[in-house]
Amino acid sequence: MIEQLKNIWQRRELLYYIVRFQMKAEKKNKVLGFVWSFLDPLLLFFTYLILVHYIFGRGGPDFPLLLFIALLSWKWFASSLSRSVVSITSKVGLIQSVRFPLVILPLSGIIIGFFEWLFGFVILVPMLFIFEASFTVNILWLPVLLLIEFVGIVGICLIMAVVGTYLSDLGNIIQFVIRICFYLSPILYSVEERVPERFTTLYMLGNPFAGLLESYKNVLVLGTPPTEYALVGTAVCVVLFLIGLWYFSRDEHKLVKSI
Amino acid sequence: MEKRRRSGALAFLLERSHNRQRSPREFWALRHVSFTVERGDTVGIIGRNGSGKSTVLRVIAGVYPPDEGKVSVNGEVSTLFSLGAGFQPELSGRDNIYLNGIMVGLKKDRIEEIFDVIIEFAELGDFIDMPVRTYSSGMRARLGFAIAMHSDKDIVLIDEIMGAGDAAFKQKADVEMSRIIGERTVIIVSHNMSTIEKFANKVIWLDRGVMAAMGEPKEVIEQYLAASKVKKRPPDEY
Repeated sequence: MIEQLKNIWQRRELLYYIVRFQMKAEKKNKVLGFVWSFLDPLLLFFTYLILVHYIFGRGGPDFPLLLFIALLSWKWFASSLSRSVVSITSKVGLIQSVRFPLVILPLSGIIIGFFEWLFGFVILVPMLFIFEASFTVNILWLPVLLLIEFVGIVGICLIMAVVGTYLSDLGNIIQFVIRICFYLSPILYSVEERVPERFTTLYMLGNPFAGLLESYKNVLVLGTPPTEYALVGTAVCVVLFLIGLWYFSRDEHKLVKSI
Repeated sequence: MEKRRRSGALAFLLERSHNRQRSPREFWALRHVSFTVERGDTVGIIGRNGSGKSTVLRVIAGVYPPDEGKVSVNGEVSTLFSLGAGFQPELSGRDNIYLNGIMVGLKKDRIEEIFDVIIEFAELGDFIDMPVRTYSSGMRARLGFAIAMHSDKDIVLIDEIMGAGDAAFKQKADVEMSRIIGERTVIIVSHNMSTIEKFANKVIWLDRGVMAAMGEPKEVIEQYLAASKVKKRPPDEY
């Protein structure tokens, strides 16, 4: 496993080029090109804003901000996950041409997802001022939260990259799972508003992502520290990371033969 | 050396996760294949479709780890070029040159140095900034061949790439091949016997994953051609 990390470090230049070229290829044939990096999160945001705020009449004055932050972090997770399932099978040509650490493929999808997050963040910053978010020293937690999310996403995506290679049906299943998880997570609603108080603990422990999402909202909008439930999320993310790295390293050689 | 299995999806997955090695439907892509290639040799690999020729190249390239037996390679191996594979269709020729260069471990500066030579050889002209999916098979062959020839690796693997180009490409490819022959170790898979005979000093004939013959190009090719002659059905069968 440590060897795996060393391999990645050695081939970081390859990782850089794969990320760069893949981002280029995704945007290349579109008229608006890189504008889509900003449009994608915005359109998603407005869709849910209209749905929740105007059609269902829910959400307080901070709702647009909270929604946008939650959507960004969610999108990073969801898009990395859908990419990871096909990360190995979509690069058969490369894999069969030269030997390189395969872990670079799912990893590149996650890094692209992070860049999408960054583009969204560029839009978020002026929004924070417009909606008068409370800035406190707690904003320093942001990189920590991002790191925790990254570690967790890597774990899940490595597992999904392996399983998705053996079982291409996973692509269909995962879209459904992502959708369910979306509604089960505090994105369109906040926990204190929608989850009955006696179930809060159960809800937060049952959905490790919830603690992270609530913490993003806390540090960026409310100016409060992360919730203590983020610790559960952290633990789950680290465990997932270790399992993912172990599973991927174990099956890496078998993957090549099953594509 | 090399094994692939086929079974139902769930069984497949369970089998994988239980790390079981044997399955009733297992299929060996290559087995009991053993040979040595000396530095500077040019080896031709011939055989029918599906006989394991490309698999040999992939094993040498380190893409497939052998399930049984051992492969030792002294020296650096170039990218394995076969038609269509190895290129990212959405990316331009330019980006693909960089990607392939980085994949085999070349430094960015070195790629910049060989960039013009590759483009000149591949005769891509304005197509260099077009996505590779718009290329003709000849253009792809030229580009792949040019990258393989200029990646300064000790061992060059070529998988049926010579057949795709036109007459002009073949002549140029011949010149390039003659330049590196004897200097670097080359392993060519081809169905074109004249190419093999011209360049190889050793030929391996694979038949259904097993080595059928190895030796002097002329002799092995003759044996192979004799064995693949279509047998005419006797008239009484009609």
